[in-house]
Amino acid sequence: MSTKKILLAGTMLAMIGLVWLGVVYWMSFFWVSTEVTQGIAQRIFYVHVPAAWTSFLAFGLAALFSGMYLWLRDERLDRAAVSAAEGGMVFATIMLTTGPLWGKIAWGTYWTWEPRLTLTLLLWFIFLGYFLVRSSTENPEKGKRHAAVVAIVGALDIPFIHLSVIWFRSLHPAPVVIKPEGPTLPGDMLTTLLMSLGAFTVLFLGLFLLRYSLENLRSELDTRSRHASV
Amino acid sequence: MRNYLKQIRTILWKDLLVEFRTRERLIAMGAFVVLVAILFNYATDWARVSPEDIASGLVWMTIMFAGLLGVGRTFHLEAEDGAFQGILLSPVPKDAIFIAKALANFVFLYIVALLVVGVFIFFFGLEVGGSFGMLTLVIALGVLAFVALGTLFTAVSTGTRMGDTLLPVLIFPLLAPVVIYGTGATSQFLAGRPVTEAEGSIRMLAAFALTAFFLGSWLFRFVVED
Amino acid sequence: MNRNQILCGLVTGITFLVCTITLFAQETSELPGAQLAAQGLGRPYWHVFIAYAIAIGIVFFWVVSIGRRLSEIEKKIGS
Repeated sequence: MSTKKILLAGTMLAMIGLVWLGVVYWMSFFWVSTEVTQGIAQRIFYVHVPAAWTSFLAFGLAALFSGMYLWLRDERLDRAAVSAAEGGMVFATIMLTTGPLWGKIAWGTYWTWEPRLTLTLLLWFIFLGYFLVRSSTENPEKGKRHAAVVAIVGALDIPFIHLSVIWFRSLHPAPVVIKPEGPTLPGDMLTTLLMSLGAFTVLFLGLFLLRYSLENLRSELDTRSRHASV
Repeated sequence: MRNYLKQIRTILWKDLLVEFRTRERLIAMGAFVVLVAILFNYATDWARVSPEDIASGLVWMTIMFAGLLGVGRTFHLEAEDGAFQGILLSPVPKDAIFIAKALANFVFLYIVALLVVGVFIFFFGLEVGGSFGMLTLVIALGVLAFVALGTLFTAVSTGTRMGDTLLPVLIFPLLAPVVIYGTGATSQFLAGRPVTEAEGSIRMLAAFALTAFFLGSWLFRFVVED
Repeated sequence: MNRNQILCGLVTGITFLVCTITLFAQETSELPGAQLAAQGLGRPYWHVFIAYAIAIGIVFFWVVSIGRRLSEIEKKIGS
């Protein structure tokens, strides 16, 4: 596919995602019923959980593309990896800012060492390292390889971090008043959640394609200017 | 296979010899450890907390920071006079270089880690008691995981403009399991609990250390290739 | 203006729309005030609104930053 087509597809998907997100916002403000024990604050759920899911999807894609880049050495894979990683950072930031806002109401504190929250925070820092390595290496070729190594080690470290933060939590039980989500979701809440998951995923895919075509254009510009200088 | 081991031994011996002649890194890390312990003394209200309560965490954090100090210098000596290019050009496989470098780091950091425990026993009257053997095992596993990731990412950070300042950002998030399981096992030893209670965390620590080591020796080739 | 710039503009415009809808939703959702005031739920509301605003705000910034970088590069390639 040419960059033009990807750009177009990305724009379409992003627009669909944004409109869909608008619908989700409407649903979660006006349509869905209020949860009984937590009241209104539980509505943060409908942006918090999809953002978490999307960031994990994005970081997973970034690690996958990084691994394939080291294997196949196709420039396009590296561009895909950096685009996905940027998306992961964006959605992880949403997850990490909405989480404490909900936690303050549900738990009484902004931060508890809730395993998934902690894992996302550590992932955020791992991918911060990914971008720092990329941007501070003199030789861009080398930077791409090094960043890919960071992403792969980060991805393979996730199970260990996940298990360890859960284990830590079991050692030091935090004063949890209310569980973050109920065991089963009533119908309309589930519908809203699924709609929101769909909206975030489509929005991410669209913006990912836009970001990817941006990288494509950038490298095109690079080769063009190199040809011009030769 | 024998050739491979011999190559590892040669590089490892070279690193150890350089270090034991100059003693630069060991002295720096050792002094750091003792000084940190002295400062911890003044940073803590010992009337309110007993050493056993917080010592395991302090021990592990001291090992982490001392390790950062030592591991960060892994490639400096060779990078300065371009000798690392020579090693890379030699017919030694890249993973052998990694294993040798990581093992050399392991030796230095393990010595320093034991010094940390000794300093805490000496300064704060820590009671290690019968589980000293297990404690050294836990520390060995933690240090192994640290040097595996540390050596790999030092090779990454030496090539960047940020240099050593980048290293903690890269490895601290990855090392969270080491701190969690290491501290967990250590505090159980210090509390005088039976070793079997810490078995789970020791096993996880071992699994993590081995994974990190294999990952490092596999990915190192992508870091140093030109 | 080429097509891509127009598309970027569209994306930005729709984001604005969604933002204003969100803000509007915040206004109107407080309309049945009597009921809610009786529940004494002032603070949770604010947290919900801030969370939703942050979510859309961060997405919005990402869209704008991609759009800006794209148009910059398009300009360079065009010239």
